[in-house]
Amino acid sequence: MSDLEPLPASRKFTVSRRPEKFADRITTRIWLEEPSSENPYVAKASYCHGYNILELASKRSFSDVIYLLFRGELPNEHEAELFASLMVSFINPGPRHAATRAAMNAGVGKTDPSNILPVALSIFGGEHLGSGEVEPALRWLRKNLKKSPQDLARELLHTVGSSDREGDFHVAPGFGSFYGSIDEMSSAIAEQLLRLPAAGPVMKWAAEFSKILNTAQMGWLSTGVVAATLADLGFQPRVAPGIFQIMSAPGLFAHGIELASKPLTAMPFPGAATTSSRSRRNEG
Amino acid sequence: MKDKKSAVSTSIWDHNRGVVRSNIGGWVIGKGVVNRGYEMMEDFVGKLSYMQVVIFNATGRMPERRLADFFEAVHICLSWPDPRIWCNNIGALGGTSRASALASTLAGTLATDARSYGIRPLLEGLAFIQDALRQYKEGMSVEDIVRKEAARHGGKPSMMGYARPIAKGDERVPALERVREEKGFPVGEHLALAFAINDHIAQVYSESINVNGYVSAFWSDQGYTPEEAYRIMAVGVSSGVTACYLDTRGKPAGTFLPMRCEDIDYQGVPPRELP
Repeated sequence: MSDLEPLPASRKFTVSRRPEKFADRITTRIWLEEPSSENPYVAKASYCHGYNILELASKRSFSDVIYLLFRGELPNEHEAELFASLMVSFINPGPRHAATRAAMNAGVGKTDPSNILPVALSIFGGEHLGSGEVEPALRWLRKNLKKSPQDLARELLHTVGSSDREGDFHVAPGFGSFYGSIDEMSSAIAEQLLRLPAAGPVMKWAAEFSKILNTAQMGWLSTGVVAATLADLGFQPRVAPGIFQIMSAPGLFAHGIELASKPLTAMPFPGAATTSSRSRRNEG
Repeated sequence: MKDKKSAVSTSIWDHNRGVVRSNIGGWVIGKGVVNRGYEMMEDFVGKLSYMQVVIFNATGRMPERRLADFFEAVHICLSWPDPRIWCNNIGALGGTSRASALASTLAGTLATDARSYGIRPLLEGLAFIQDALRQYKEGMSVEDIVRKEAARHGGKPSMMGYARPIAKGDERVPALERVREEKGFPVGEHLALAFAINDHIAQVYSESINVNGYVSAFWSDQGYTPEEAYRIMAVGVSSGVTACYLDTRGKPAGTFLPMRCEDIDYQGVPPRELP
């Protein structure tokens, strides 16, 4: 790099404020707080997308109001049924999921209970069967919806072949093998959700896609079911990870707090790691 | 194990079930703590700087002390106690909410796993300068490298590491330049190219290199990959977040940038009847 000028010792660095215009106030389309006439910091009424929160609290379900928060409108009867059913179906990733085990580790260590969910949800953000997989899954489904699901599945299976891969393989985000085979639980959940009237074109497309994958011991994964259902309910891809975190949070916290009243010995502590690293103690 | 009906092999899971298999090492109770062939209590404690161990744990390679000192200087550069900076703001909000110091520090730190600022842009910063050097060696001029990047961003010189939010220029660059010179590191080919890009965009766009562009080039000269630099710097801002936590933790709860109802500009639908 001899033709590049070496750094002159006298190089000048100056720092000045960029003439950017920042907002005077935070804006939101979600929540309105009407100030009390006595104290401008105190709200006398709150509205979620125009609906009084007290009225919502007395007449609508938790899942309806979650839907309202993100979609701006309340769900109709069929949408409400599908969304509520999805949320119950994935209320708990189960005690073997890495995020649940993170919750358990946090719990058994007696962290503050308020720390359990942030810990667990951070791990749940992963791209392998976590919320990090549902956004790409939803984008992938929307991008491929016009293709034949059968042809695409065959093409992908042909492309990936049956190589000597170790572990699981996701042929597309949200779809693949689960411990080397079909994820029976996710398939059963998808089947049940598909029977509901609000199940739409994305779920139906993904079901056809999964059927072909089944021939290669692959199919729906939890993340694929969540992505396809949220797509049919009109949720944007960027919203999907948070919705998946919200629906799985109860199970994660339940397992974490269950361990919080138990001693450290309540969880396995395996033997020392078997390791192949050689000693470097006598190296120069 | 193979399931007879489906011929599904679960051997990789059976092999790892209930057994920790590590390529690194671990604690052997009563004997010591093995870390990639070293015994930590004997070989590390009191002999290495903490930052050397951080880099070793993040890359598997042991850096010389002066290089670890440079990384440490970068951590100081990211540890500003200004609660207007987004991650630090989270720390201050934790303090005013009486969240714990650790929860607040980690919450602010996690926010820097972001595209607009913080630690994640290092991935793009190192990738950019490494790719730019490859193109330069293939014959592309500095002007063309910048023009090509600008074309991808609507004509703006939006290379990662050049220009920054809020301000033009970056006071951390001359500070780290001083450290580099004091530690005796020469200007490598990535850093030389980074300064050439800096000079060009200063002339054409009135922009300049920022701390990301500078350290991305320097660390590329030291042989680090984008992912390695990102791992080493994972909690790079944490100390500044803690400082901002401390400031609001010492004041009455709920008094950090309090807002009246009217301070929020509501632009949604007006109040309506529930169907």
